[in-house]
Amino acid sequence: MPIETATKTMTMVQAVREAMLEEMRLDDTVCILGEDVGPRGGVFLCTEGLHAEFGPDRVIDTPLSEAGILGSALGMAMNGLRPVAEIQFIDFLFPGYDQLYSEIAKMRYRSAGMFKAPMVIRGPYGGGVRGGVYHSQSPEELFAHIPGLKVVIPSNPYDAKGLLIAAIRDEDPVVFLEPKRIYRGVKSEVPGGAYTVPIGKANVVREGSDATLISYGAMLHVALEAADRLAAEGKNVEVIDLRSLVPYDGETILTSVKKTGHAVVVVEAPKLGSFANEISAYIAEKAIEYLEGPIMRVASIDTSVPYNLEKYYLPDADRIVKATKKTLEF
Amino acid sequence: MAAPFKPFTDSPIAYVDNDGNSVAKMKSNFSDDDLKKLYRLMVLCRAIDDRGYIMVRQGRAGFLAQTAGQEAAQIGSAFMLKKKDWVFTTHRELGAALTKGMTPGQLLAHVLGKDLDPSKGRNMPSHYGDGELNIVTPSSVVGNKTPAAVGVGMAAAIRKTGQVAMCYMGDGATSEGDTLAAFNFAGVFNAPTIFALQNNQYAISIDVKHQTKSRTFAEKAAAFGFDGYLVDGNDVIACAEVSKFAIDKARTGGGPTLIEFLTYRYGPHSSADDDSRYRKKEEIELWRNTRDPIMRMRKFLTKQGLLDDTSEAKMQEEIKQAVEEGLTEAEASPLPAPETVFDHAYATLLPHQIDEKIEIFGHA
Repeated sequence: MPIETATKTMTMVQAVREAMLEEMRLDDTVCILGEDVGPRGGVFLCTEGLHAEFGPDRVIDTPLSEAGILGSALGMAMNGLRPVAEIQFIDFLFPGYDQLYSEIAKMRYRSAGMFKAPMVIRGPYGGGVRGGVYHSQSPEELFAHIPGLKVVIPSNPYDAKGLLIAAIRDEDPVVFLEPKRIYRGVKSEVPGGAYTVPIGKANVVREGSDATLISYGAMLHVALEAADRLAAEGKNVEVIDLRSLVPYDGETILTSVKKTGHAVVVVEAPKLGSFANEISAYIAEKAIEYLEGPIMRVASIDTSVPYNLEKYYLPDADRIVKATKKTLEF
Repeated sequence: MAAPFKPFTDSPIAYVDNDGNSVAKMKSNFSDDDLKKLYRLMVLCRAIDDRGYIMVRQGRAGFLAQTAGQEAAQIGSAFMLKKKDWVFTTHRELGAALTKGMTPGQLLAHVLGKDLDPSKGRNMPSHYGDGELNIVTPSSVVGNKTPAAVGVGMAAAIRKTGQVAMCYMGDGATSEGDTLAAFNFAGVFNAPTIFALQNNQYAISIDVKHQTKSRTFAEKAAAFGFDGYLVDGNDVIACAEVSKFAIDKARTGGGPTLIEFLTYRYGPHSSADDDSRYRKKEEIELWRNTRDPIMRMRKFLTKQGLLDDTSEAKMQEEIKQAVEEGLTEAEASPLPAPETVFDHAYATLLPHQIDEKIEIFGHA
């Protein structure tokens, strides 16, 4: 496989694959493990061709066990490797959730820094692909709530590559969630070679002065669609892509909200207990005196994800526009 | 490597009987000095354990899971490990931690949650760990340390470090899914990981008959394609011999082994348990009075002419002193500084933690 140095237009799947490829070429402690990641190249082809280039010691097809994948990846990370553990669908992570919750996240703290777990847990997540109850969920807050983990969610191929390389180089375990709804639907220019996008720095993707829409992942694009529609009605909204939930970029949020006086947080997870709540509370604590209307949350409904009625489950531009108007007209 | 022992036997592999007579079918690999060391480690372990128990009774320590009764299994299994090898403890591996090299001072500092504890008192007592010795500070969740012990072994094989991993677990852990995942991964990847399963007959109150329908725990290895050995876990020579075999085998590419050490804990599950609710005093007395690992080894060494009253008394005095010195050291050690409560959640403090630190301590 030739090393690409030129900037190319690519999908998120290609960008994710390139991030791993570049890092594996630069650092021979980086390895991949998971189900079907070898010759199959992953069910979404994120590891296509890597087994052929790096061999079975670095691209490891595992038995079908998320606890086994996550737990053995932890041991590998503790003993000098930098594993990237692929979870085929994030919905399938939960048989291994204890490994994440009790072991991976707590290893550094419980050992007072004697042992560490520099590893990435990555996989596709989220709805909008008619995946039904178990191929659609957005459980990011279940990871964000665990001290010891970082949680990163890219919204475009450029960020995906740079953030994944940053995640692989991070000294702490990073849960890297890839919105599969935009795996192939959103393309962007992606430079060749290794580069990083810093974890914890939000991106103001659209400037505006009337309200602030805060989102991440696939919902960022729905928020942008809502921003277009609001613009057509003369409402000039700012849109922030958080890029990472842990750590999140409070400064960028506050700067924007202090300017606009209105905040709408858009997430794909069910609303109750979602990360929108953390952002909303943060804004309320730090900047309530700047607010001219209620902080609004737009989220999925508090049910599981239906296969056939998903359209009513997921946030859409209509709901974002409505929520934004509600705070603007308060 | 030709196995000197038979796997999957119904009766445990033994070298010494309860009266200290040799019943070995083959010559021991261990020198007289080794045998004396094994004995001394067991006596020292019991003394530290007793001291910890006293500290709980005095209200100076908040919790303890006693090791008494399981010294042979832990010390025998850890005896041949090298410094670079990995040890995954659970919540009772005082003997393994001591054998791998933790000092009485560190071990007692751990019981007191002091700074001298390599894990800085982050865990409740009896969760021994030391990064210098690759003893992994454990969680309290039963069975979930096993997959990482396989991963450490996989990395050792990939990186060709020559390390092995000794993964301690109890009989209860065999019912957890993560353990079965770990056994399966160990088999598939031929990991240099040894599962040191101390069958102490109880998972808190649940006896082995209610834990499994298998006749032995060792035989579970057969389902995963590697060997399991049933060993008399109160016979320190047998424990050390079978472990040495498994360690050598793992180190030379022979893959994983499951060793079931048949043993017994004298104390309750922990200082928070009341074992009178689920087992009879007579049962404890039977083990303590007729099968005790230390007593058995003392009889053996005496019969072999390696120990007499004078050398025993001298050793007991030295151990008493070592424990007292350890305790003095542990007590002199301060509690970790308050601000360190934020340390090591991540490699560096995250912005929201800085906010929290300022809120609590007034500075970042």
